[in-house]
Amino acid sequence: MRMMTRRTIATMVPAVLALAITGAATGPAAAFKLGMAVGGEAASNWQKPQGEVAAALAKQRGWEYVELSNNLDAAVATKNADIFIQDKVDAVIEFNGRPEVNPVLAAKFAAAKIPVVTYDISQKGFYFVGIDNLAAGIAGGEGLGKIAKEKWNCDVDLVLSSEGAGAGIVNEWRTGGMRTGLQHICPDIPKEKYISFEGSGQVAVAAPAARDVLAAHPDAKKILVVGLNDAGVLGAVQAAVQLGRGDDVIAWGQDGAFITGDNVDPHLAGSVLYFLEGYAVYALRDVIDPIAAGNPPPMKDTGDDPASKVKPCPVTAEQAKSIPGIEERVKQLMAAPAGTTEFDLFCPKS
Amino acid sequence: MTEMAATTPSTTPGRWNALRANLPTGWGAAATVALAWIALIVASGIHRADFLSHQTVLAVSFTMAIVGVLAVAQALIGMSGAILDLSQPTGLIMSAAVVAWLLERNVPIPLVVVAGILVGAAWGFANASIVVLAKLNPIIVTLATNFIGGAVMFLVYQNAQAPLKSSFSDFGRSYFLGLPNIWWPMLILILVVGYFLPRTRYGRHMIAVGGNRFAAQTRGVSLKKTRLAVFSIAGAIVGGAGVLFACSNGPFAPTAGATFQLPVIASVILAGCSLSGGRGNVWLILLSVGFLSTVPTSLVFFGLNSNWQAVFQGIILIVAVSIDGSRTKRTQR
Repeated sequence: MRMMTRRTIATMVPAVLALAITGAATGPAAAFKLGMAVGGEAASNWQKPQGEVAAALAKQRGWEYVELSNNLDAAVATKNADIFIQDKVDAVIEFNGRPEVNPVLAAKFAAAKIPVVTYDISQKGFYFVGIDNLAAGIAGGEGLGKIAKEKWNCDVDLVLSSEGAGAGIVNEWRTGGMRTGLQHICPDIPKEKYISFEGSGQVAVAAPAARDVLAAHPDAKKILVVGLNDAGVLGAVQAAVQLGRGDDVIAWGQDGAFITGDNVDPHLAGSVLYFLEGYAVYALRDVIDPIAAGNPPPMKDTGDDPASKVKPCPVTAEQAKSIPGIEERVKQLMAAPAGTTEFDLFCPKS
Repeated sequence: MTEMAATTPSTTPGRWNALRANLPTGWGAAATVALAWIALIVASGIHRADFLSHQTVLAVSFTMAIVGVLAVAQALIGMSGAILDLSQPTGLIMSAAVVAWLLERNVPIPLVVVAGILVGAAWGFANASIVVLAKLNPIIVTLATNFIGGAVMFLVYQNAQAPLKSSFSDFGRSYFLGLPNIWWPMLILILVVGYFLPRTRYGRHMIAVGGNRFAAQTRGVSLKKTRLAVFSIAGAIVGGAGVLFACSNGPFAPTAGATFQLPVIASVILAGCSLSGGRGNVWLILLSVGFLSTVPTSLVFFGLNSNWQAVFQGIILIVAVSIDGSRTKRTQR
């Protein structure tokens, strides 16, 4: 036993010394370390590129970069916060689709004195970078309303809302905002024409739910669809097509995931692009770069007064034809001068 | 009924039991589900007459199509004694993603369909290989491979979609004799598998292994070969479901298959296919899938929102598992 203790001490002392020397040598000159918690919702094609853009920008600056996935799960997001704190990152970017746990994360990061940027979902004590979801929702609803007015003179039989309750307040802002925007243009659509169903922001969930709602409204011939995101809206479109009523539907999405490229559903009349994959440009330019330089910006943690505001880009399907797909957008963004946003590069000017 | 059972339930005295013993086994489950389905349709029709419309038939039959195909595969796994294949969602989406990828590259549709089925078969074979070689519980293995496969797919792609302007996608949204094209392969599969399972040597081996694997082994039936074959065939069926999914859905993510798991398992149990193996009638899946696919549509007609669907499906699953448990106990007696 005594031998083992001596051996252990003999092994550990040099190891601890070596670690201490290494730490001392690298400590003061250590690179800035950025932690990024990506959303981890597989159904959204921008979530992975969102991390890739942050990684590329961190690399350009010679920073260390640590990426974890929140897996769209509150418990995982909490565990990730602990890992970032243990890893002694200098700043964190959070995209957390389970905002109910954000106060817990905020308390942990505040205790560790780690500044945090949050995308799109505000949290007291986190720098807010993102879209005004309510404004984006209203813009989308108004875009759809203009088409409904032009085509049907606002005489609508049904307004389907593909909700995503899991997104909490974001769903209320976007989907509810779209209804509000629609009412701005078509104020006389009766309340009973508005029907909601749970689509979870996924085609595979939204399609069967919308099929049932459409079957229960067999006489509806002029149908508008709004929702949390493009995928949820497309689920309703898919359902209408399957029931032989595709041409009765006009849909407008949010997030722009399926409005670009050469395989766009003809019933998707438009969407609101946020260029979510490129948010890191805003976060680094307006918040993290100043922190890394030792000049942290004043805390702005609300959507009304954000640390960096992302402009929504509502587009019709016709306008979207000029916008490249997500891979090409990321490529062009990386090649653009520092601080250039995707809105600058791609949002149609008219 | 062409029920195949490895163990015949014992008969008890009494006229009713004597009558029941003379009926083909499985009739009880069939009668129960059929009555429940008819009652649901009648109640919904009384509540709202427009429930009895072609739109409702289409909504229900689209829901049935993929669930029904997956349920056949799940039933084979259960009846062979492997309990459940929890990797079906990944097998389904893996096949569908390969189909979409090949179509984008203008590969001829017949080859694409074959490739989709083969991907499913390969997925089933891979699962069986782990189960057989490592001698692990199939539920644990397929639970793990479902996670692994889903994560790997996420690394490769975020969203896939068959080209909208193609005869493949046209097939997925068109009808034959007033029902969706994708419904008919499900019907044919259920009829064919239900017919051949109890009438072929391989089918009987499969059920014998599920009923009593030691007795089957003493009769020269190889557990390993049977398990490899069952998982591969069930995987091929899941691959076929992937093809139907790709042609009838819009864009889909690697996680899109998860939505089918609960109704598929509920359908299999409700059809009287024992998860502990050795008993089941594939034909009854048509009734159970039809009933379970009608429930969410009915709920909407009754004015209940879609959140209630999961509540009802969960309740039905618990009831079905209870019935399955009591059936198994009765059989063991």
